[in-house]
Amino acid sequence: MTLTAAAHAAGAPASARQQVTMSGAINRALRDAMTADADVVVFGEDVGTLGGVFRVTDGIARDFGQDRCFDTPLAEAGIVGFAVGMAMAGFRPVIEMQFDAFAFPAFEQIASHVAKMRNRTAGRVNLPIVIRIPFGGGIGGVEHHCDSSEAYYAHTPGLKVVTPATVEDAYTLLREAINDPDPVIFMEPKRLYWSKGSIESAVAATTFESFGHAAVRREGTDVTLVAYGPSVDVAMQAASAAIESGWSVEVVDLRTIVPFDDETVVNSVRKTGRCVVVQEAQGFAGVGAEIAARVQERAFHSLHAPVLRVAGLDIPYPPPKLEHLHLPGVERVLDAIARLQWDDNADTRFLANASKGGAA
Amino acid sequence: MSVSTISTTGRTFMLPDLGEGLTEAEVIEWHVAPGDEVHVDQIVVTVETAKATVDLPCPYSGPVLTLHNAPGAVVEVGRPLLTIGAERISGAEEQSGSGNVLVGYGTSEAKRSGRRRVNPEGRPTAANNLGSDAAARTINAPATTAPATAAPSVAPKVISPVVRKLARDNQISLARLAPSGPGDVIRRADVEAAVRMGEAGLASQEVAPAQVPAGADRADDIRTPLRGVRKTIADKLTRSRREIPEATTWVDVDATGLMAAKDEIKAVNAVARIGLLALFARISIAGLTKFPELNARVNVEAQEIVQLRDINLSFAAQSPRGLVVPVVHDAAEMTTAELAAALRELTELARDDKLTPAQMTGGTFTLNNYGVFGTDGAAPIINYPEAAMLGVGRIIDRPWAHEGQVALRKVAQLGLTFDHRVCDGRTAGGFLRFVADCVERPVLLLAEL
Amino acid sequence: MTTHTSTPVTQTVPSDRPFARGLIPAPMPVRFLDDLGHRVQVFNDDYPEPSSEQLVAAYSAMVIGRRFDIQATALAKQGRLAVYPPSRGQEACQIASVLALSQDDWAFPTYRDSMALVTRGLDPVEVLTVPHGSAHCGYDPRANRTAPQCTPLATQLIHAVGFASGEKRKGRPTVAMAFVGDGGTSEGDFHEALNFAAVFKAPVVFLVQNNKYAISVPLSKQTAAPSLGYKGIGYGIASEQVDGNDVMAVLAVLNKAVAHARSGQGPVLVEAHTYRLDAHTNADDATRYRDSQEVEDWLRRDPIARLEAWLRHEGLIDDAFVASVAQKAEAFAADIRDRMSVDLALDPMSLFDNVFAAPTTQLLEQRAMVEAELEAEAASR
Repeated sequence: MTLTAAAHAAGAPASARQQVTMSGAINRALRDAMTADADVVVFGEDVGTLGGVFRVTDGIARDFGQDRCFDTPLAEAGIVGFAVGMAMAGFRPVIEMQFDAFAFPAFEQIASHVAKMRNRTAGRVNLPIVIRIPFGGGIGGVEHHCDSSEAYYAHTPGLKVVTPATVEDAYTLLREAINDPDPVIFMEPKRLYWSKGSIESAVAATTFESFGHAAVRREGTDVTLVAYGPSVDVAMQAASAAIESGWSVEVVDLRTIVPFDDETVVNSVRKTGRCVVVQEAQGFAGVGAEIAARVQERAFHSLHAPVLRVAGLDIPYPPPKLEHLHLPGVERVLDAIARLQWDDNADTRFLANASKGGAA
Repeated sequence: MSVSTISTTGRTFMLPDLGEGLTEAEVIEWHVAPGDEVHVDQIVVTVETAKATVDLPCPYSGPVLTLHNAPGAVVEVGRPLLTIGAERISGAEEQSGSGNVLVGYGTSEAKRSGRRRVNPEGRPTAANNLGSDAAARTINAPATTAPATAAPSVAPKVISPVVRKLARDNQISLARLAPSGPGDVIRRADVEAAVRMGEAGLASQEVAPAQVPAGADRADDIRTPLRGVRKTIADKLTRSRREIPEATTWVDVDATGLMAAKDEIKAVNAVARIGLLALFARISIAGLTKFPELNARVNVEAQEIVQLRDINLSFAAQSPRGLVVPVVHDAAEMTTAELAAALRELTELARDDKLTPAQMTGGTFTLNNYGVFGTDGAAPIINYPEAAMLGVGRIIDRPWAHEGQVALRKVAQLGLTFDHRVCDGRTAGGFLRFVADCVERPVLLLAEL
Repeated sequence: MTTHTSTPVTQTVPSDRPFARGLIPAPMPVRFLDDLGHRVQVFNDDYPEPSSEQLVAAYSAMVIGRRFDIQATALAKQGRLAVYPPSRGQEACQIASVLALSQDDWAFPTYRDSMALVTRGLDPVEVLTVPHGSAHCGYDPRANRTAPQCTPLATQLIHAVGFASGEKRKGRPTVAMAFVGDGGTSEGDFHEALNFAAVFKAPVVFLVQNNKYAISVPLSKQTAAPSLGYKGIGYGIASEQVDGNDVMAVLAVLNKAVAHARSGQGPVLVEAHTYRLDAHTNADDATRYRDSQEVEDWLRRDPIARLEAWLRHEGLIDDAFVASVAQKAEAFAADIRDRMSVDLALDPMSLFDNVFAAPTTQLLEQRAMVEAELEAEAASR
């Protein structure tokens, strides 16, 4: 059992600088939300008695009762559709899709109904549903357990897409997601479930207004790395490593993909003049492509180099033994930074006659 | 498009889209004839679409006036089927004549008749219509944007939007820069160099690749490619000679008086450091005021001569990269002391290679003191797009007819090279004579100040 | 086996025993009236006969419902609706499904249940808003206690289950009537909905209107089950099959099913055998996949005719009444015609409302763009 579960089962407040895991932070957020609002209910496969395959809902069914936290039959479309009906009846369902790829059977319910109900009914029926989805790889998982499907949801109007990268944000953003009158796809970077952090100040907050507000995790002057979810960690590591090469790297954590914080991202790129987007998901037609398009449109005149993306390869997620080649790592990010036309040297990668040219 | 139109002669039922995107239907059989009374929803015609055969009910009651198509005819969605005569019209039906009633979901849109609106930001120029269709809209693209013409000569590649903007702000034509970087990418250094050489406002031209001179292929020949700044200068000189029908007139002057005046000024006001160049500048300005035709330029496209109001005096100076031509803007507004200071400041900046683009553009007349090279005269090339240049040779002792005697005086040759389109020999000669008179007897300037 | 009787069976209150026969439907569809309107006894012992009031109300509703359906079909052929999926021939199911509900119950309809909705009391013009093309749902679901007309088949069944379960959890005695056709029972969501309903004992009645065709695909290609009513047993759901053109039978079965669900005994699956007299929509050509003889046969089983015969026989209605209902139906249709010929002004800016509770920055930017486009267009005219 985690520190969190033990502490909270006893009703003890978090002591100063107590570290909890991200999984524990989510657990705590669920509990606090359920305590604050009797209409918040949690359900999905194995979330009740077992407490979730990642222990995220550990102890909740026991402490809040089977009415508030219960197991469902193994049917993802059914779970989401059931949540639609429950929401129509006045509940605030927080449901779980056990792994990223297992949400696909539910995709129709999500895209055709969850995303559209408010719009279809001209605002008369809204669905305050949170769909929690563990996503991303880097855990040595077998097929279907490591995908990153955020692009499908980001591309569907009517859904908010939230990707916490830190333990504190896991708490804060989930609280806000549950409070939101609209559906939220809450994507949890599973390889960070066991990372540790403090949620002390987050827990003490009375309002949660982080959606649409990206965070500058590290300030720098030479280049902006834009990342979300598990890639923020990679970006931060790359930023540290970049010091050796003389680059001062700024890291922007999007926190929410929808709503998107254009202002913070653009201000950062206007300052640095260079931008690299880091994402785990396959690059082609991914969220990174949208970010790059927005940055070049809005910060065009400040750019010293093209906006680059470091992303997963355009392949089905590979088996565990090869996933390290697929996932964007620090080296690949540094390679991308190196391509950013420093010292008036053009990036000739895509030029046919790259070898031609005289001396200045 | 509407299902109904109200006219004094009746209401017309148009063929609707009967199947989510159908575009037409064939009339199979009419079930009514002109003159028949029909009631609402009565089946009046059978039509066949690509999907099905459909009996159509009439939306109106009244006498049938016209059947618009014979059996076998293929009718387009939105076209008339039949017209029913006007009847006692109810309030609601009256309203339906607004023409808004739906027909033809998914059928063809109204034909577009040209661009429906200007760019909402109010800039309707073709250069900004990036999203609009038709190459026709790019005909008038301004010359400063890179021409997207066909074949191997593609638009210039620039290392970044920041550098591209730098070039544009300084009126550097990208197409005239020879990129120094790999991949033929214009680098910031290229643009900055061009700016420092004072090149400005040139129309685009083809970038001519460096040519190896035919035949003379000897290993120990020294080859310097015409690229970058060197190329820009070469192009400008060539253009000047090609376009401007210039003429030169010259005169020898006894500059002893001017030299003496200089010394007298120095004795009284050494601080101002008014040297010969400043005095020649003052005289030139007075001359241009008297002969404003020479402070002009010819605009070939507009087919006009523009006499410029301001006098911006260009002069030759040395820089580490070679000859540069800084400009003293609004020289006519300055006192001689101010002129001297400006000339001195610009000379220093040139020597330190720190001239800004603004300091190297906009000249209207050039003062060229080539005497420092130790020569007497020249037929200089006009500093395009100006119309005239005053050249001053070396000032040395020479025998001169002075007060009826032969004496050694400080003699120099003055030359005026001018664009013969802006004036005739009389004006040019008048200007040069005036300058010469002021040099010989500086006190004459008092009358012109 | 049928017997002709003129004595109405007395009504009984719902009992505590399992729904009718429990998980297995009657071996033949439950029936009270034959094609000609004669009273028969076909596996209907477990169902109290509906009251005279309910039957007379059913008659009026069916006449008006049919007139509405025919009017809507005409409007589609006149281009006033983009499309209209008719339910002519299914009047008994459409009406009974609604009359069996109380005011506080909810309906979860498909796109072919417009007749049921107007019977429920929804404004017919609001019901026709979707085929009209001006909005995705023309009525207020909460005020009308009716979910939006669902296009992706069977996907709303699970909503009905979640809703009904939620209502039960909140201590409200709400029952949800979930509509699906024969084709929809093949969808995965049908399976998941039934499973969830059974596991959570949700107060839902699943009404399967088996009208024999899913566009052009006949029942024989849709399922190998002995009848769709047998699908319930796999989930542990009480099931029944009924003659869907016998409104007395449909009402009787649904009355009991709703009571069963409301009493907390779980969901019920009811298969109603009926027939879609018209094509799938005005864009469909039914002659391509069925022959007119089949349609003729079903015309002889007209639900309105046989109820009328029975009611006249029982002295419950007469010519005057029939005429007055017909008149009401005409007035109903005329009103729809008039109102449908006037287009509502649509606010283009409404595109950006109701994507979220509050529009995002990006949506506001796009809104401004469209606004500018429209202003520029207006100015250039």
